[in-house]
Amino acid sequence: MKVYSVKVEEREELGSYTLLKYRWTDGSLEPGQFVMARAADYPATLDPFLARPFSFYDYDGHMASLLFEVRGRGTALLDLASTIEVTAPLGKGFRIDPSLGRAVLLGGGIGVAPLKILSRRLNAVGIPHDVFLGFADAGPAAVAREFPGARVATIDGSAGTHGTVLDAADSLEGYAAIYACGPNPMLAAVKLAAGQNSLCQLSVEERMGCGNGSCNGCVVPVRGGGYIRSCIDGPVFPAEVLAW
Amino acid sequence: MVVREQETGVDRVVELCGLRLRTPLIPASGTLSREALGEVGGVYGAMLPKTTTPSARAGNPPPRVAETPAGMVNSIGLQNPGVESFLQDLDAFDLGIPIFVSVAGDTVSEFALLCETLAGEDRVSAVELNLSCPNVECGGLAFCAGPASVEEVVAACRAAVPGKPIAAKLTNEGVVENARAAESAGADGLTVINTLPALTIDARARNVLVRGGLSGPAIKPVALRAVYDVSGVVNIPVIGSGGVVSGTDVAEFMLAGATAVQVGTASFVRDPRKILDEFTDYLKENSLSAAELTGALRGVRPVLTGGGDI
Repeated sequence: MKVYSVKVEEREELGSYTLLKYRWTDGSLEPGQFVMARAADYPATLDPFLARPFSFYDYDGHMASLLFEVRGRGTALLDLASTIEVTAPLGKGFRIDPSLGRAVLLGGGIGVAPLKILSRRLNAVGIPHDVFLGFADAGPAAVAREFPGARVATIDGSAGTHGTVLDAADSLEGYAAIYACGPNPMLAAVKLAAGQNSLCQLSVEERMGCGNGSCNGCVVPVRGGGYIRSCIDGPVFPAEVLAW
Repeated sequence: MVVREQETGVDRVVELCGLRLRTPLIPASGTLSREALGEVGGVYGAMLPKTTTPSARAGNPPPRVAETPAGMVNSIGLQNPGVESFLQDLDAFDLGIPIFVSVAGDTVSEFALLCETLAGEDRVSAVELNLSCPNVECGGLAFCAGPASVEEVVAACRAAVPGKPIAAKLTNEGVVENARAAESAGADGLTVINTLPALTIDARARNVLVRGGLSGPAIKPVALRAVYDVSGVVNIPVIGSGGVVSGTDVAEFMLAGATAVQVGTASFVRDPRKILDEFTDYLKENSLSAAELTGALRGVRPVLTGGGDI
């Protein structure tokens, strides 16, 4: 896998999440695509070994940004790194159809990450959209200030509506397109709530080994049986493809 | 790539089971997808796609991978489209270098049938028998239970594909006895070792996260010892595999007795071209050719060097 060593140009805390920015001019990237990233300085960092997948949070044509939550040693090191290793943009992103009407964006926890760049793109092509974000508590919910007009729910009720992102959204009826990213149980609930009448696309969260289709580690079950790789065939899938 | 060889001024060519490999590097089975081939031209001496089985396998339910100290545990379960579909798509793996095909069956007769299928395939230069997958219910690691079962399956495959070299991929446990058995049953080479049976637990959720095989730099010393011990007792080439991350690692495996070296998990986080470049630098700095390295430690007694107070 080709790996780029890039300097962290900016680092910002958004609630309990971290935002890293690095310069990326080696080609375009699409909302919903991701990179494998890890703290640089091989071979000092043989442990932890693997890179971690992160959806792009934003891209302005020069500066790409990743939003992540420190969950373990890999992300803890990434949080401290001044240089990181990233792959080229990977995976299949969100399909955007300008002929459709109003869209809704649903994010759960760190799954808010790709919704920022998606919202930017929807604005650029003139697709009106509502944003609903769900979090465990008020700590991470502070990231919602980056999404003007977004409605928030928290599981513990410490910010916004008490409940899940779907409690904040009331109903998904009337939206022509539904975009969601978050933990798999949330995505399954979104799929159920979406019904049949809209274009529903889900960006899945899976543990990954390689990110380039080689290891078959990040599979999701598909309707009709079997598994497909979320790194190559996703991470964004039409809801009807998934067997949840 | 001839140009590249001239540029480096270093002889990286090795001969493996009668095949000329322009570098000693081979991808470990299951670690290099068709989609990732565009980036690896010139790096490897032979191509080795993911293990193929008689019919399609869905693989194991997720989670399939977990990070562990300096490595990872995987339980993919040999997900693959089956040999028929595999052969239809094999041209994608043609990078102008020999293609090794890794096969696995649930039974000896399935192994033999797979070998028979490959026997008539001109595109296939050699066959690797995956006798050591820790993640399947039937066959897999069980073939390495002892020399008798290794001998039986290797002999059956030997008869089924008489015109091509076969290499038996062995697990670490019992590797010396199993290597001898594979050799006496007609194997032309040995791949040493596969992932080590391993387990990860999620203490917070109180459940098993992944029960599978450990790979990555964590297993390198184990693999090195297996290569060293096996190459000392057999007269067929050994392909070293297990935790190779750097060019120095490649040199270590060859010094231990390997003729060629597989790169697996490391290719998920490093450009394998860098591993080859580092290996080339090593050869240059030491005025050696790749082939000269193999088994150069044979007969050299282990030396305890400084700082060894234990």
